[in-house]
Amino acid sequence: MGKAKLTGWLQIAAAILIAVLAVGLYRAKSDAARTEAHVRVLQADVEQREAALRELRAEIAQRESPANVEALAEERLGVVIGAESAALPESALSDRLPAPRPTERRE
Amino acid sequence: MKPFGPTGAFAPERSFTGAAEAAPARNRVRLLAIGIFAVLLLLAGRAVQLAFSGDPLSERSRSAAVQVLPRADIVDRNGVLLATTVRAYALTATPSRVWDAPSIAASLASVFPELDRETVVRRLTDTSRQLVYLRRGLTPEERDRVHELGLAGIGFETEHHRDYPQGTLAAHTLGFTDVDLNALSGVERGLDAQIRAGGEAGRPVRLSLDVRVQYALEEELAAAARAAGASGGSAILIDGRTGETLALASWPTFDPNEAGRATENMRRDRVAGDLHELGSTIKPFTIAMALEEELTTSGELFDLSVPFDIDGSVIEDHEPVRGLASLRDILAHSSNIGAARLALRLGGARQRSYFERLGLTAPASLELGRNQAPLAPAARSRRDVAGLGFGYGLAATQATLAGAYTVFTNNGARVEPTLLARAPDAAIERTPVFSPEVTRQLMVYLRGVVTNGTGRAADVPGLAVAGKTGTAEKLGATSAYDESRNFSSFAGVFPSNDPRYVIVLALDDTGEGAAGGMVAAPAVARTLRRIAPMLGLRVEPRAPTR
Repeated sequence: MGKAKLTGWLQIAAAILIAVLAVGLYRAKSDAARTEAHVRVLQADVEQREAALRELRAEIAQRESPANVEALAEERLGVVIGAESAALPESALSDRLPAPRPTERRE
Repeated sequence: MKPFGPTGAFAPERSFTGAAEAAPARNRVRLLAIGIFAVLLLLAGRAVQLAFSGDPLSERSRSAAVQVLPRADIVDRNGVLLATTVRAYALTATPSRVWDAPSIAASLASVFPELDRETVVRRLTDTSRQLVYLRRGLTPEERDRVHELGLAGIGFETEHHRDYPQGTLAAHTLGFTDVDLNALSGVERGLDAQIRAGGEAGRPVRLSLDVRVQYALEEELAAAARAAGASGGSAILIDGRTGETLALASWPTFDPNEAGRATENMRRDRVAGDLHELGSTIKPFTIAMALEEELTTSGELFDLSVPFDIDGSVIEDHEPVRGLASLRDILAHSSNIGAARLALRLGGARQRSYFERLGLTAPASLELGRNQAPLAPAARSRRDVAGLGFGYGLAATQATLAGAYTVFTNNGARVEPTLLARAPDAAIERTPVFSPEVTRQLMVYLRGVVTNGTGRAADVPGLAVAGKTGTAEKLGATSAYDESRNFSSFAGVFPSNDPRYVIVLALDDTGEGAAGGMVAAPAVARTLRRIAPMLGLRVEPRAPTR
């Protein structure tokens, strides 16, 4: 009698446990789906930001390119590197460079 | 409540018969219990597995952190961006949703004036297609401007676009792709597989170029080519010890961002794609071959005052060398007669063998879309052998010549030029050609060319430049050499006291009298003045005169 009763209660407990597990599983799945959706949104956001970052990096490279820097130097500072080099004779170029520093001669 | 237990007054009796009836029920209960236990065991197992396998979401997000691109970035040796893949948009239309095609075409023309209105109308009314492309590679700004027009049936598709932020810099080396990012030329094509793999792994492709050196070389080449009235120019600078190409320039140039607008002449890579007879820049090799084979010595003197007759063909020097001349004089005064005589002592077979080891009979190994193979027919007569001795009868690219000159930076061994940055501890393959003694002797002669010979204009105080000028007459319309059309060049090595770098600069179609020493050598000197500090070399200027 006692054993049969125990068995009966165990069966009820097992049924409840299964129900709880099923509900838990459903909730876990729906949580996971929600998280996945959130991750997808974040992922898309990361991709957007990465793409924007790549565009910015390209723009920085363009602005820092030697041609752009030289053009800016010419426009704002009046420094004309290439043109001077192309136009001046060798002797004139040498004269424009600083004089060599005196070095000690070893006997 | 007794859910499953026996009930009633005749329980024992019933229990006997009921026991027999209850047996299958008990079995069912047992089966059910076993089933539940199995399910619970499975769930427990899965829970344990999840507990020890980490968070699957984090794994996914980690892989998503590396964005897959169709093509990787290309950077220079210092990490400066040379080519990248950015977001772009394709302008599309759904013809079935377009009501007033001419009006839409007119609106689009206000943003893209270059769009052909008739073509746009034709595409917009092509209802046999679900989607038509009107324009590719739109920038985000252009997309916004079209979006503001609020045109029905007009949409956008996100795509990738190849961008070259340095503009014309290293255009021929980088090459370009088509609108679908298929490689068409340059390293884009030469390293296509590596660039695609790098895009998937989020890893850039690092070239050996240095944008600062590249810019200086390009600017000086352009200035020299314009000043000399040349139709084209090419220049290459190599770290001769490692074979790494620091700069590679062709003139005229183009913007790879708008490659379609450039002419074929502008897009032509003249360093690795154009063949020219090398002229006198090959003479150092002829002398080195003769020394290596012990067919002459540094003490031998030659009488070069009279023209040299080879089976009826007369070889003359542009400026005859008076008196007796040493090997050093042959090189310093670029004597064709001296080089021809040494070449004949060597013979065609040995000469060919040296040319092969110098890499002058095979295309350069630069990682470009195209490396033009040299025109190097075997010498069939003594005249051919003599001509090859002073640079006629062998047409190669300037990249090939620069590769051959690396023998002077490696104690007589040649290194293949490359466009990829090498790791500091990378193994470098060297092909022995000359002995270290012969190479050192040649370096003294090459330095003499710059201090006392035809290459004086290439001298840069403090940098100890060594090198050889070259002036090859070009073939005219009648297949005869035309004195008024020259290919003028200078091939140099510096610093000569510790040779490391190789520079070759050439100008195509320079006029009569525009020898390599007059037009190419000064351009090399100007370039070296600018780039020496970038290479960690010191230029000693002359003291100002009082």
